[in-house]
Amino acid sequence: MANTGPVTFAIEAFKRIHPVEFQRRFLSQETRHDGRAFGQFRETHVAKGTVSTAQGSSTVRIGDTTVVCGIKAEVSEPDVKTPDEGYLVTNVDLSPMCSARFRAGPPSESAQVASEHVFRLFNQNVVDLKELCIESGQAVWVLSADIVCLRHDGNILDAAIVALMAALEDLKLPQAKIESGVVSADKSTGRPLALRRRLFPATYTLVDDAYLVADADDAEEQLATASVLVVVDERGRVANVWKRGAGPISRQSISQCVDVATGRVPKMAEVLDAAGGQ
Amino acid sequence: MAANIIDRRRINGPQRSVEPLYTHVDAAADPFASGRGDGRALDQVRPIFVKTGPLSAHRSESALSSAAAASGAAFYEQGKIRVSCAVYGPRQGRRSSARMGSFDCDFRYAPFACSWKRRSHVKGADEREISLMLEHAIAPAIRLEAYPKACIDAYVTVIESDGKAATIAAAINCISAALADAGIEMYDSVAACSMGLTGARWVADCAQPEEDAASCSMLIAYMPSADEVTYILQHGKTTPEQTDQAVQTCTNMCARVYAVICRYLQDSLE
Repeated sequence: MANTGPVTFAIEAFKRIHPVEFQRRFLSQETRHDGRAFGQFRETHVAKGTVSTAQGSSTVRIGDTTVVCGIKAEVSEPDVKTPDEGYLVTNVDLSPMCSARFRAGPPSESAQVASEHVFRLFNQNVVDLKELCIESGQAVWVLSADIVCLRHDGNILDAAIVALMAALEDLKLPQAKIESGVVSADKSTGRPLALRRRLFPATYTLVDDAYLVADADDAEEQLATASVLVVVDERGRVANVWKRGAGPISRQSISQCVDVATGRVPKMAEVLDAAGGQ
Repeated sequence: MAANIIDRRRINGPQRSVEPLYTHVDAAADPFASGRGDGRALDQVRPIFVKTGPLSAHRSESALSSAAAASGAAFYEQGKIRVSCAVYGPRQGRRSSARMGSFDCDFRYAPFACSWKRRSHVKGADEREISLMLEHAIAPAIRLEAYPKACIDAYVTVIESDGKAATIAAAINCISAALADAGIEMYDSVAACSMGLTGARWVADCAQPEEDAASCSMLIAYMPSADEVTYILQHGKTTPEQTDQAVQTCTNMCARVYAVICRYLQDSLE
């Protein structure tokens, strides 16, 4: 027992000085540095309605990765080409508050990529923009969904997608009507937004060109050479597969990822349902 | 105009969007007509929750810190107000010849943090002003001479605000806790508290509707063990006597807030 102190110090130093070798020691033994199996995801915690200043909100925690999503509903004129469609605007904010890897100022490339991907995913699959119409050609709702990361410990995309999904389910749009060019809304009445499908993400990361692990944390992501994001809906239909990076991932592995992502759906749906609004 | 600049690095909505005109807003003429809305006493601060380190329920079993983790972090709640802060440092400063360390603060509202219109991503003038206020309020407590050539950075994000002065006070308390978590040498923790004047009464820790009805607001940052005030900000008209009284009451309340934070920090060590 007397040696506990020095040994802990040695591991800490080893991890910092030689992160690749540190991870390899675990991965070659078919385990991971936090004790998880290769296919094991961290537990997802979801809470809906956590921000009362937003019309819809959620807080999601995957391991230590924590994000808050808030949706503000505002009114604007529709685009001339699509007079009866509203807007869904999504932005992912990765500030230096969540990790030392990010700088203050304009969004980093990884934040831009995440914003763009979430934007396309939800505009194409989840929100029917026609639902956001107040008066065709005159006024539509603009949903500004901002996903703020509080702690970044890997797998931000999964967290962002779950958070936006939960916030959209929490959203209450006030009953709005337009009278002589002015949109008025009754704050006391709110209707939930009808969503086309529920999305459930799962990310796999290829660490060190050899080990495919589920839900990588920050230390593992630093050694990643490729990653696969699989998004499926509540009926198990694939909504999106996104393989990034140069590392080789076999076709069998990708279909395995899709299978596992589909298998996780009932459990994840339960987590989302249990979150309940405030 | 900042509003006309389109930031291509973000997803942009339509150029102009406004809040709808809300009807049936329960606008009470006087939020103090029948006591305070949430049943608090006039000199009572909203309940405080503070947590340092990562937000998960327990520290991870492996207890190995990630290289990218902040030196110190804190999450602070006061009623509905929610503030998160990360502190980095002491790390290499920008001026290598400095004999004293520097303390910098970056304050942001989340775009959805305010009850009115959504905030733009572009940093507003008020955010810059508050950043500077926080630096001035906290820096006197830090032993900057112990960190030559180094800088300490605090990044603060408001997730939800409820009363502007109270939110700034919450940010000060949050940074204090994060600095303690980072193990930065300090003379004392800074505790802050705000008050609003309605009629002739000072009301502690005003929520947004109360602040809107108040004619004057007072914010004090205070180091209780040293018995020193590090920051006072007053907006609005008062008599000198009323200001005296406010400083007295506010410092007493700061001491109570300080006790809460210190008790948490002590417990977290065990």
